Amino acid sequence: MLSDHDQKWIGYVVAGISVALTTTVLKPLGTHINATTVALALLLNVLFIATRWGSLPALFASVVAMLCFNFFFLPPFGTLTIAAPDNWIALTAFLATAITAGQLSARAKRRAEEAESGRQEIERLYAELRDAFERASHAEALRQSEKLKSALLDAVTHDLRTPLTSIKASITTLLDEAKERFDGDAPVILDHESRIEMMEVIDQESDRLNRFIGGLIELARIEAGELQLRRHWGSIDDILSTTLERAATITKDHTIEFEIESELPVVRVDERAVSEVVYTLIENATKYSPPGTVIRLIAQRAAEGVIRMAVEDQGPGIPSHLRKRVFDKFFRAIRDGDIGKDEPSGSGMGLAIAKGIIEAHGGEIWIEPGTDDKGVRVVFTLPIGDDEAEPMRTRVQRVTLTK
Amino acid sequence: MTEGARILVVDDEPQLTRVLRTGLKSRGYDVRVAADGLSGFEIFNDWHPNLVITDLAMPNMDGLELCRRLRSISQVPIIILSAKGEERIKVEALDVGADDFVTKPFGIDELLARLRAALRRSALQPPTQTTQTVLDSGDFHVDLETRSVTVAGKEVHLTPKEFDLLVYFIKHSGKVLTHRTLLAAVWGGDYVEQDQYLRVFVGNLRKKLENNPASPRYILTEPWVGYRFDPIE
Repeated sequence: MLSDHDQKWIGYVVAGISVALTTTVLKPLGTHINATTVALALLLNVLFIATRWGSLPALFASVVAMLCFNFFFLPPFGTLTIAAPDNWIALTAFLATAITAGQLSARAKRRAEEAESGRQEIERLYAELRDAFERASHAEALRQSEKLKSALLDAVTHDLRTPLTSIKASITTLLDEAKERFDGDAPVILDHESRIEMMEVIDQESDRLNRFIGGLIELARIEAGELQLRRHWGSIDDILSTTLERAATITKDHTIEFEIESELPVVRVDERAVSEVVYTLIENATKYSPPGTVIRLIAQRAAEGVIRMAVEDQGPGIPSHLRKRVFDKFFRAIRDGDIGKDEPSGSGMGLAIAKGIIEAHGGEIWIEPGTDDKGVRVVFTLPIGDDEAEPMRTRVQRVTLTK
Repeated sequence: MTEGARILVVDDEPQLTRVLRTGLKSRGYDVRVAADGLSGFEIFNDWHPNLVITDLAMPNMDGLELCRRLRSISQVPIIILSAKGEERIKVEALDVGADDFVTKPFGIDELLARLRAALRRSALQPPTQTTQTVLDSGDFHVDLETRSVTVAGKEVHLTPKEFDLLVYFIKHSGKVLTHRTLLAAVWGGDYVEQDQYLRVFVGNLRKKLENNPASPRYILTEPWVGYRFDPIE
């Protein structure tokens, strides 16, 4: 890159050479061309130098051009004398052109530079603004995710602490009795029945803690994309009967009805996982519908290669704006203030896990109103299985779920 | 007095009410339970218990609203069962009139101790605040007319605001008093956000009353909530 100073010098050199060259070319033509043409040609040189290198080299070019014009083309030839007054005019024209064009070009150059630096400034501001915006939205995203995290943590600690509170209260009551502690109160008198009751609470609440932790682990696996499906070819009937056997105690106050299509094809699924889904749906139905009502199990062929299953209850139903949210982990309509009746509250993990399992199978799960718009129907689909997979072959499949 | 007292337990967690019912009955208390604030309030109206233990997060009228309603009709001692993460609502409940709190999970002994203290306080409470001129409480003797204070027989000199604060503490001995409650009672409603006033005055009171102000025995700090006054060192 040449400095401004060097540029100027080049200007002077080019000015000299271009005027000399023009003179050399035009001189041999002698009297064939008139003086005005020569003057214009030389003027073009000056103009060119002015636009390219500014006033001073242009001034230099105009002086040289004027001298050459005078010496070679104006009579008396070969002298620097100026005889006629119109030759003075030519000289003045050379100088005026040089100065004006030089200044115009300098101004244009300055304008261009200003525009360039303005553009750079705008670009810099834009970049800064974009960075600031990115930082801000990153901070906002972080804040949102922190908020979500702390809400989830609250939900988890509540579910861990609730059974712990019952356990701690029971065990300290039993301990007081065993140690015959008075502590300002009357002595503890626990009859046999009360003692059993305390121990039952401890037993049941430890199971509840264990179930909750199991659910947490399952959810974590699903979210990490590490749910391992052990797919075998099996029948829907088998899955349903295993599940119902397991659910016998919780379904004793309800009537179970079936709507199972005959000759359903075998499906290649993780039977234990699908059974878990059906169990969760039946459990929810028993929890959220009054005793004595009907719970309907449905299984039928849907589209090509897809089985559609559903569990339907006759409870109060789920408002349409919550039908998607109930699949969010730790969402509970009651705690989150939308239903607000004294209904039982679960862990808020069952449906989230069910969704994970169904989606891992390539199926879908959703909620719709039950028959005659009453109650809830939880529907899920299961693809029958891969065509290329050999029946009865076990394969461990790793899936990745996105939320 | 505490024996045979009627205790109402309000919590939506059936296992916990089961345990508390049995645990409190085994100590000779008469116990009834309710699964939500609304039915708790109804039982209160029918049964007139001597003390109410209530959870905060419940369907059908939460613990905070229950405290508010109970306070509008009664001075019954109220103990809150709260969990970590419920600090804000716990403080609100204390502000609207709850007497004390127990943080979950708790041992039955802690609950019983607080229950006994609350019952004692309510038994000591004169039915109506008549024109009392002298307060005698534990180590403290306060003459409201001459505005003189002795602590364990030693006279201490207090500024007018320090005196007012101490009198309020003594009148509410053993009860958890939130910053807001104290500020409103001693400085007036405009000062409820001025925690720093309270810190300065409590600091001064401790210097004058406590043997070792660095580890106070009379004015106890309830972290994030307020103070509790214990008249016996």
